[in-house]
Amino acid sequence: MIRLESVTKSYSTDVTALRDASFEIAKGEFVFLVGPSGSGKSTLLRLMNRQEQPEKGEVWVAGKDINAMPDSKVPFLRRNIGNIFQDYKLLLNKTVFENVAFALEVIGRPKHVIRQQVPAVLDLVGLADKEDRFPHQLSGGEQQRVSIARAFVNRPLILLADEPTGNLDPATGEGIMRLLDRINGTGTTVVMATHDQRIVNQMRKRVVQLDRGVIVRDQERGVYD
Amino acid sequence: MLARVSYAFRETWASFKRNVTLTAAAVITSAVSLLLVGSTFLIQRAFDNLLTRWKGDVELIVYVRSDASPEQITFIQEAIESQPTIIDVAKLRYLDQAESYAEAQKLFAGDPGTLRLLTPENIPSQFKVVPTTDDSNLIRELGESFRGIEGVREVAYAQDVFDVVSRVSQFIRVATTVMSIVLLVVAIGLIWNTIRTAMFARRREIEVMKLVGATNWFIRIPFMLEGLLQGLIGGVLSCAGLWGLNSAWSNAVTEFNDTELAALVVSDGYVSWVMVMLLVIGAAAGAIGSGIAASRFLDV
Repeated sequence: MIRLESVTKSYSTDVTALRDASFEIAKGEFVFLVGPSGSGKSTLLRLMNRQEQPEKGEVWVAGKDINAMPDSKVPFLRRNIGNIFQDYKLLLNKTVFENVAFALEVIGRPKHVIRQQVPAVLDLVGLADKEDRFPHQLSGGEQQRVSIARAFVNRPLILLADEPTGNLDPATGEGIMRLLDRINGTGTTVVMATHDQRIVNQMRKRVVQLDRGVIVRDQERGVYD
Repeated sequence: MLARVSYAFRETWASFKRNVTLTAAAVITSAVSLLLVGSTFLIQRAFDNLLTRWKGDVELIVYVRSDASPEQITFIQEAIESQPTIIDVAKLRYLDQAESYAEAQKLFAGDPGTLRLLTPENIPSQFKVVPTTDDSNLIRELGESFRGIEGVREVAYAQDVFDVVSRVSQFIRVATTVMSIVLLVVAIGLIWNTIRTAMFARRREIEVMKLVGATNWFIRIPFMLEGLLQGLIGGVLSCAGLWGLNSAWSNAVTEFNDTELAALVVSDGYVSWVMVMLLVIGAAAGAIGSGIAASRFLDV
């Protein structure tokens, strides 16, 4: 599903975010990217939906070399990739329903599809009764559920999560992880960057560890350290 | 499709409301610049009308001294009529002093200083000569030969006046064109800035849109629509202004109905054509300017 081949990415001549990184993620896998701040986790995620492009190496997603594709094709690549962030990135002037519907609206999905898909995905994340609330009326965990609903409403092949539990207390974070695990269970590949040791140790999934831009460990059913 | 269109209009309207002052500035500037563009066209057209009228009209005027005797006048007339190959004798007109004075009253209506100096007694009478040839050298040669006749005060060539008016109109054309281009650039700059502000206000939405896979065109179109509307509203305002200016101008010129200045009136058909053009320029400049701005700032 995702394959990196000797990828190097630097932001300036003296900052190398990623050095000669290679690995492969199969369809339906759940992978943790771990490592301290600045180790290159976020860069790796941003390379996978072409928010960044590497200096060297290739990134293959769903059978395509995504850095070789023209800019005009990138939006269609991204329709297959959901994104979740530490700060949710919800639109504050829109309700829960509107936030999720927005993701379908802007890729031109017709109204009847939106009316059918949005309630279904809100039900999945457990917010069926809160679709008319605004983000500021929700707890952090609920806001993250909205952002997961938005990322998943188009049924993407891949879900990229950048520190999704970073702003949440442990119990709420666990709830989010259960939700991501369920989504993974539907066949969606999940790649999650985190430095939440407890969660990684609890989930026992594949762990890719980064240190200053270099992959230092790649372990099935791994733990944080 | 319908969903996309309604989305674009909703966003455009919201953005208009959000940036009232900047939008107003952009609209007014484009209106003023387009008004100047339109005025340039109308002024040009008016001068062209005038010059065309003159071209087919009198090309040579032989002024006769106010103290010339009737015999001298007859002699001058005979001299002119003796050149039927160069001169259209049938169109030869003689304005005596009373008629010349009446004409001067109209020609110098805006110049009371000159008028005060003229009386029906001191004003030269004149032969208005229409040549049959376009050869200005030949006309000039003939004119010079008239100069030597007793009683002739002066020979004036329409060509000279024509050249002066041409030069004036040329100058006005260059000046108004330069000003309208400068203002048009300012207007596009202001539209550019409103779009940038609008995009900054919506940067979070744009970021999300890009992440969920909205195409650049989808993101860009509401902004282009906003720029297009700004340009179009500016165009409508400029059309209203142009119509007003032209009506006032036509009214003023009608007072000179029986002089050549009446040619300065521009036909309504031409004015309508210029107005349509202003709307098109306004809409196109707005849409293209904001489209380029949107593309520049879309790379977030």
